[in-house]
Amino acid sequence: MSLFGFGRPQPTSAEKIAAVENELRVVAEMHSRMIKLCTLKCVDKTYREGELSKGESVCLDRCAAKFFEAHQTISEQLQREGAARGFGA
Amino acid sequence: MEGLTAAESRELEQRLQKRQVKEFMTVFGNLVDNCFAACVDDFTSRALSGRETGCLSRCVTKSMATQTRLGERFAELNAAMTAEMQKR
Repeated sequence: MSLFGFGRPQPTSAEKIAAVENELRVVAEMHSRMIKLCTLKCVDKTYREGELSKGESVCLDRCAAKFFEAHQTISEQLQREGAARGFGA
Repeated sequence: MEGLTAAESRELEQRLQKRQVKEFMTVFGNLVDNCFAACVDDFTSRALSGRETGCLSRCVTKSMATQTRLGERFAELNAAMTAEMQKR
């Protein structure tokens, strides 16, 4: 309850730190998963060469972009369908 | 990271450093797994063969190049996604 904006509960120190840590963890996980997946999809597993070929490089770039788009798309659909089924807020 | 006191900032920095170490161990582990799976398949001997060693070496070099490239793409895409989300 607040009158004129006073008395709004401030997040505690622990909560603020946990929030930042959490967000960074989520981002780091996404980063790690993307590397795993795009390596799988784009990099020649025989490792005959120690350098990325032009083709592999371009594939990696596109893979990263698609990964993010897939993440967004899936996220949005889950929200829509989840809401329709009564999950979440 | 607005609104953190000096003490909170320090605490956060410490936690992030610990997290970075953990991160590195994960990356290292994934690298070993990936390169071992791709390169090592000759169990007629206990020692790595010359072929396997060469493959592992190339795999490591290539994996590091991949990480670098994807790291750059990730940063760009993540920034764009964050900006997009804030607009909504």
